[in-house]
Amino acid sequence: MATVTLKNVTKIYDGNHVVLKDFNNTFEDGEFVTLLGPSGCGKTTLLRIIAGFIKPTSGEVWIDGRMVSGHKTFVPPEKRNIGMVFQSYAVWPHMNVFENAAYPLTIKKLPKEEISRKVAEVLEITHLSQYAERLPGELSGGQQQRVALARALVAAPKLLLLDEPLSNLDAKLRESMRFEIKEIQKRLGITVVYVTHDQAEAMAMSDRIFLINSGIVQQCDTPENIYNHPVNQFVADFLGKVDFFKGEVRDGRIVFPGMGGQSVAYDGPRTGKVEVAVRPENMYFDEQGELEGILEQQYYLGDTDDCRVRVGDTLVRVITGGYQYGRLKNGQPVRISVRSFMTFEDDGMLENKLQIRT
Amino acid sequence: MKNDNQQQAESRKERTAASLTKLILVILFLLGTVLVIMGFRGLRIFEASGFNSENAYQAIHQLSGDVEDAWKDRLEPRLKLLSQEDRSGLDSLARDMLISEWEDRSEGAGAEAQQILEGHGADADALTWKLLYTTYLIGGPKISSAAKKELLAGQKASEAFDLELLSCITDENAALPAKAKKAAGKLEGAKRQAALMQAFFVANGSTDPVISEHANQLLKSVRNRGQQLKAFRMIAEGGISRIMLLFAGRARTVMLAGVLLMIDVLILAGLMAAGKRWAFDFKWIVILLLTDFLLFFQLMPLIYIGIKALFPDGSFSLDTVRRLYTYPLNLEALKNTMVSAFAAMILGTAIAFPLAFLVGRTNLYGRKFFRSLFVITYMVPPYVGAMAWLRLMNPNVGTVNQWIRALFHLSSAPGPLNVYTLPGMIWVLTTFYYPYAFITISRAMEKMDPSLEDASRISGASPLKTVFTITLPLMMPSLIAGALLVFISAASCYGIPSIIGIPGNVNTITTRITEYVSLGQQGINDATGLSLFLLVVAVVILFLSDVVLAKRQYITVSGKSVSPQIVHLRSWRIPLTVLVSLFAAVVILLPFLTILTTSFKIDIGKSVLAPGNFTLSNWTTVFARNETMSCLKNSLLFASAAATAGLVIACVMSYLLQRTSVRGRNIPSFLITLGSGTPSVVIALGLIMTMRGSFGVNIYGTVYIMIIAYMIKYMMMGMRTVVSAMSQVHVSLEECSQIAGAGWFRTMTKITGPLIFPSIAAGWFLIFIPSFYELSMTTLLYSSTTKTIGFQLYEYWTFTSQPMSCAMAFGILLIVVLLNFVLGRLTRGSFSI
Repeated sequence: MATVTLKNVTKIYDGNHVVLKDFNNTFEDGEFVTLLGPSGCGKTTLLRIIAGFIKPTSGEVWIDGRMVSGHKTFVPPEKRNIGMVFQSYAVWPHMNVFENAAYPLTIKKLPKEEISRKVAEVLEITHLSQYAERLPGELSGGQQQRVALARALVAAPKLLLLDEPLSNLDAKLRESMRFEIKEIQKRLGITVVYVTHDQAEAMAMSDRIFLINSGIVQQCDTPENIYNHPVNQFVADFLGKVDFFKGEVRDGRIVFPGMGGQSVAYDGPRTGKVEVAVRPENMYFDEQGELEGILEQQYYLGDTDDCRVRVGDTLVRVITGGYQYGRLKNGQPVRISVRSFMTFEDDGMLENKLQIRT
Repeated sequence: MKNDNQQQAESRKERTAASLTKLILVILFLLGTVLVIMGFRGLRIFEASGFNSENAYQAIHQLSGDVEDAWKDRLEPRLKLLSQEDRSGLDSLARDMLISEWEDRSEGAGAEAQQILEGHGADADALTWKLLYTTYLIGGPKISSAAKKELLAGQKASEAFDLELLSCITDENAALPAKAKKAAGKLEGAKRQAALMQAFFVANGSTDPVISEHANQLLKSVRNRGQQLKAFRMIAEGGISRIMLLFAGRARTVMLAGVLLMIDVLILAGLMAAGKRWAFDFKWIVILLLTDFLLFFQLMPLIYIGIKALFPDGSFSLDTVRRLYTYPLNLEALKNTMVSAFAAMILGTAIAFPLAFLVGRTNLYGRKFFRSLFVITYMVPPYVGAMAWLRLMNPNVGTVNQWIRALFHLSSAPGPLNVYTLPGMIWVLTTFYYPYAFITISRAMEKMDPSLEDASRISGASPLKTVFTITLPLMMPSLIAGALLVFISAASCYGIPSIIGIPGNVNTITTRITEYVSLGQQGINDATGLSLFLLVVAVVILFLSDVVLAKRQYITVSGKSVSPQIVHLRSWRIPLTVLVSLFAAVVILLPFLTILTTSFKIDIGKSVLAPGNFTLSNWTTVFARNETMSCLKNSLLFASAAATAGLVIACVMSYLLQRTSVRGRNIPSFLITLGSGTPSVVIALGLIMTMRGSFGVNIYGTVYIMIIAYMIKYMMMGMRTVVSAMSQVHVSLEECSQIAGAGWFRTMTKITGPLIFPSIAAGWFLIFIPSFYELSMTTLLYSSTTKTIGFQLYEYWTFTSQPMSCAMAFGILLIVVLLNFVLGRLTRGSFSI
C-alpha cells in the first residue's frame, strides 16, 4: 500500500556525532521491515526521521512517491498519514479508550457516526471492545499497548511505525502480542516499520531485517538468510549464538591450532587463515565425529542440553536435545560432528568488529 | 506434627504478646485519664485558692524551703541563746505582733491566726516565728530597703548583735545597736518593735536576693491580701506536697500531658487495629512525638481560633462574626483581598504558563538563563518588591510616571500610574507571586513524556492543536495547583499590602488583622474572627489541591529519561525572545535597580545621578547601628534554629515515608502540609492566643514562639526536597551496602547521606531563607528582644527613611543571593532556588 524510499539519509548531531550514515533503501508495499540493532545504533532515529519528528541532516525521504523530507522540503508528522506506536505507549491519560482511539479521526473532522463505526472496528481488532469507556490508568500494560495500536490503526494508515512496542511487556504477553501484530498487519496489508533490539521479535515477524550498528546498516535480508548467511562477524554474533574459532585452510580441511591441530572437512573457496563461526546447535555428538574432546560441563535446560566440550585448548559449546542429558557423563571423552559452519576472512580484527559502538 | 506444635506455641506466644500490648495501652490510657482528672482537680484547687496564677504554688513551695532553712539554721539557734524568761516573753510578743499584723491585712485574720496557733499545741511557738518571718518577708514596708541593705552587711555580725536586737525589741529603753538605728529610726512602740523584728529577720535570713525573688514571685501571683495570709500559712506549715505542686501548680501542663497521652494511645490503638497486629513498633514513638508537637503547636491553635470565633463567650454565637463581617472597613478589606488575590492568580497563571512553555519547551534564546531569572524572584522578600514598585509608580515622583510624562508630554500632574490603588497592588502581587505558578508548571512540563505529544502529531494534529488538546489538559492539574498556590499566597500576603495598601487606604484582611492585634485583648479576639476567613479559604484550597487535584494528577513521567521535544519557534524566535527579555527587564531588573539606586539617594525625588544627590551615608548609617546588627543576628539565629530543627524533622519524616511502611507515617506528614498551607498571620495569631500559659505552655514573647512559627510555615519545603531526593535513591543501593556488611548507621552515613546531601543542604536553605526575611508572622510575634531584620526594615520604611531602608533591603538581597551562591556551591550546582 505504501512504499518508503530513503535516499542517502544521514543524521549528524552536534556537527560530528554521526547517528545514521547514508541509509539507502526502499520498503515495499505491505512489507514488514524490522530495524534491529543494539540500543543507540540509530534505528529509532531512522524511525523518527520517517515519522517526521527528526529532520535528517542530509538525504531524502519519500513516502508513496511523495517527497516528505528533502533538501528544501519538509512535511510535518501530522501531514504524513502515518500510524505510530510508541515505546511508552503514549496513551493519553485524560481520555478514555474510545477517545484515545477516536482522536486521529476527530482531527480529520469525520462525521460522528463514521467515527463510532471505525473506532468500534479497530477496538474489535485489538480486542478492546469491552474497555471503550475505561481510562488508561485502569488498564494493564498490555491493554494500554493495544490502545496505542488501535489509535495508530484507526485512520487506516498505509504505513505503520512501531518503536519497540513490546519492550515494556512481560515475556508471555510479548510473545502473544508478536503474533497479534503480525496477524493484524497481514489482514490489513499495511507496510510496517518495526524497531526493536530483540532478535526473536525480529525473526518472528519480519519480511526483511535491517541489522544496524553504529549508524550503518550491516546487512539487510530475510530472517532466514540473515541468520544462516551473515555477511560479517557482527551479524553472525548479534543474531543467535555463535562461537568463533581461528583456523587455517589446508588440503580441503580447516585445521584449528587451538584444538591441538584437529580439523574439519572444507570445500569452500577460502584459503589461508580463516575465522570459523559455528552455531552450537549445529554441532552434535556423533561417534564418527571429526572432533574429539572431553565433556566438561552440561547445563540442562529442559528442551536442550547445553554442553561444554574441551577440544585441545579450546572450550567448544554444543547444544543438543534435552534427551541427551543423563546419557553422557562429565569427564567422558566424546566426538563431535559439525553440521554446518560459516567462514570469514581472518584479519585479526574480530574483537573490534563485535564491539557494539553507540 | 512438630511443626504444628511449634506453630501453636508461636501463635500462643503472639496472643499473649497481643493481650499484653492491649493491657499496656489500656493502662497508658487510664494514666492519661488520671492525669487529666488530676489536672482538673488541681485546676479546681487552684481556682478555689483565689491565687492569681498557678505560679503561686511554685513560689510557696520555694519560700517554704527558704523559711524552714532560715528557722533551723539561724533563727532558732539564736532564740535558744536567750534565757527561758526572755524567750517566753519574746514568744508571746511575736504572737501578738503576728496577730496584729494579720489583723492589719484582713479583718478577722488576727483571730484566725490565734486559732491556727492554738491548733498546733506544742509547735505553736515555732509556727509563730515562721509565720511572722514569712509575713514580714513579704509584707512589711516599715523598714526601707536601704536600711535593709545596711543590715544585710551585718549578716556576718555576731551573736551579740542579734541578742542586742532581740533585747531591744522587748525593752524599749535599751540602747539600739548602731546598725539598727537607721532601721528603727525614730519609731516608737509597736512600730519600733516591728521594725526591729524585721531587722533581726533580715540579718538572719538566707541569702537575701533569692528570698526576695521568690517573694516577688509570690507577690505577683497572690495579689489579694486575704489570700496572702493563706499563702503565708501554707509556707509556714511546711509548704505543699510535690503532688500538690504538680497538680495545682502545673494543672494545665498536667492536663495537656494527659490529653496528649490519651490521644497518642488512641492513635496507637487505631494503628494497631488497622494493621490487625497488636505489636509495638518503635518508630511509632518518633511519629507520636512529632504528631504531639504538631498537634499542640499547630493544629490546636487553629482549632482554638475557630472555637474562639464561633463561641466568643463560651456559648455559640455568630454575633462577633456578624459584627466583624458587616463592619464596612472589614467588608472592603475582604473584597480587596479576594479581588486582588483572584486577579493575581489569573494574571500570574496567564503569565506563568506561556513563560514555562517558552522556557521549558522551545528553542528560545537564553532559556536556561531566563529560567533561573524567573525562579529568583521566589527568594526575594515580597515587601522589597513592594518598596521598589512604590518608588517606581508613586503618582507624583514615581520614576515610571516621570518617564511616561516625559515621553508623552503630559502635564506634571500626578499620574498616570498610581501604585496606591487596588490595581497597583494587584500588579505588585502578580509580579511577586507568578513564580509560584511558574515553578509548579515548568516542573510538570519538563517531566512530561514527550511521546504523548508526538502521538498527537502523528495522529494528524498540528503543534498548536496538540498544545490545546494534549499538553494543556495534561498540565491542567499542575496549572490549577500553581494557580491556587498564587491565590492563597496573595490572599495571605502581608508584606505587600502593608507597604502599598496601608498608605493608599487599600485594606486587606491581613492588614486589618495586624491592626486589630495592635489594639490589645479585644482586638486580638476580633483579629481571630477575621483570620477565620483566611483559615477557611486556606483549608478549602489545601483540600482542593491535595485531595481533588491529586486524584487527577496523571503519571506522565516516562520510564526512559528523554529530554522533552523542543518546539522550534522559527521566525517567532527573535520576537518572542525580545518579549521575554522585556518582561524580565520590567519585572525583575527595574525593581532591583530601583532599590539599589534609591539606597544611594539623598533626595528621593531626584535622580541618583543628579548633582549632589549621591551618598553612601544611608548604607553607613544603617549598618553602623547596633540595633541593625542585633536584628540581623536575631534573624540569622532564629532562621538557623528553625531550619536546623525543621530539617531534622524533615529527614526523619523522609526516612519514614520513603524507607519504611510503618503505619501512621502519613499523620505528621499531613500536619506538616497543613501547616505550610496555613496563612502566616493565622499561624501567628493562633500561637499568640494559645501560647500564653492557658494551655500549659507559656512562650509568648520568647524566641521559641518565633522559631516554632517559622518551622510550622516552612518545614514542608525542606521535607519535600529531602523526600524527593530519597525517592530517587533506589533502596537497592542501601540494601547492597547492608549486604556488604555495613550496619544501618554506616549505610546512612556512607551511602544515603552523601547521595542526598545536596538535597539536605537545599532543604535547609529552603527553610532558612524565607525564615530569615519573614515579616508577617514576625510582626505579630516579636518582642523588644526578638526583633528581626525583616521587621526592622519594615520599621525603617514606615517611620524613618526610605533610602536607608532601601540600603537595608539591598543588604538583605545580597545576603540571600550570597546564601544561594553558597547553596549552589555546596550542592555542586544541582540546587539553587
